[in-house]
Amino acid sequence: MKPISKTQYELRVFAAMMIYVVLVLALLPQARHAEGLAIRVVYSLIPVLPLLYVVWLIGRRIRWSDELEQRTHLIGLGIASAIVGVFSLIGGFLAAADVLPESTAVSLLIWVFPLMMVSYGIAQRQAAQRYGGSFCDETEGMRKDLSFALLAAIFAAIALWFQWRAVDALTLGVFYGFSAAFAIAAMLFALRRRRHAEQEGE
Amino acid sequence: MNNRVRELRGERGWSQADLADKLDVSRQTVNAIETGKYDPSLPLAFRIARLLRLPIESIFQPEKD
Repeated sequence: MKPISKTQYELRVFAAMMIYVVLVLALLPQARHAEGLAIRVVYSLIPVLPLLYVVWLIGRRIRWSDELEQRTHLIGLGIASAIVGVFSLIGGFLAAADVLPESTAVSLLIWVFPLMMVSYGIAQRQAAQRYGGSFCDETEGMRKDLSFALLAAIFAAIALWFQWRAVDALTLGVFYGFSAAFAIAAMLFALRRRRHAEQEGE
Repeated sequence: MNNRVRELRGERGWSQADLADKLDVSRQTVNAIETGKYDPSLPLAFRIARLLRLPIESIFQPEKD
């Protein structure tokens, strides 16, 4: 199996996550009301498929990384596992003590994987920084301004979908907020890129 | 561990990216080795020595106590 470049990896993760979001928005609301257990199981589990693909991509990326990158991935995964494990334990204890309603605890399970991925990403980048890496380094991978612009567009699209479905104001605000934050990050990286280009031109 | 990787790379006129390509590692890894933030594994240290055609102990030295 051939190694994939960081750009290919990031593009595939983006594509898989977009498919995931579309499947979650399209199928999960229907899963609860669908007739027949089999259909409900299918509707509930289809969105997991793109996530399994992302897990496979991460494994492939780590396998083809060099020894320092593998070390930073290991640190990232270790910290992410600890964070998610502790939060799950806290949630479990609170639910067992009836402090947290069981239905809330169950719905929190949906956030285990995203929390794991976000904490893994942050911890891995922090570890890379310790070895002299930089979040702003654009020698590898997708352009940061385009990545953030894409994220802003995805979150804006989800927010618009929620607005159309008349979802509560808090959820709507969270998604519009994320979209705005990513848009600002995209602009900052675009400005930084432009300044670097001007400096090189001088 | 101290090393002379930056100096020896400079003598050969290679960029960090060139050396990373030759060693099949990332540029960040070369940078981390040169700045002393990361000590390479024994296999990678041998690969560096073979590439630079020098004995390993003339490139990497333990820090003095």
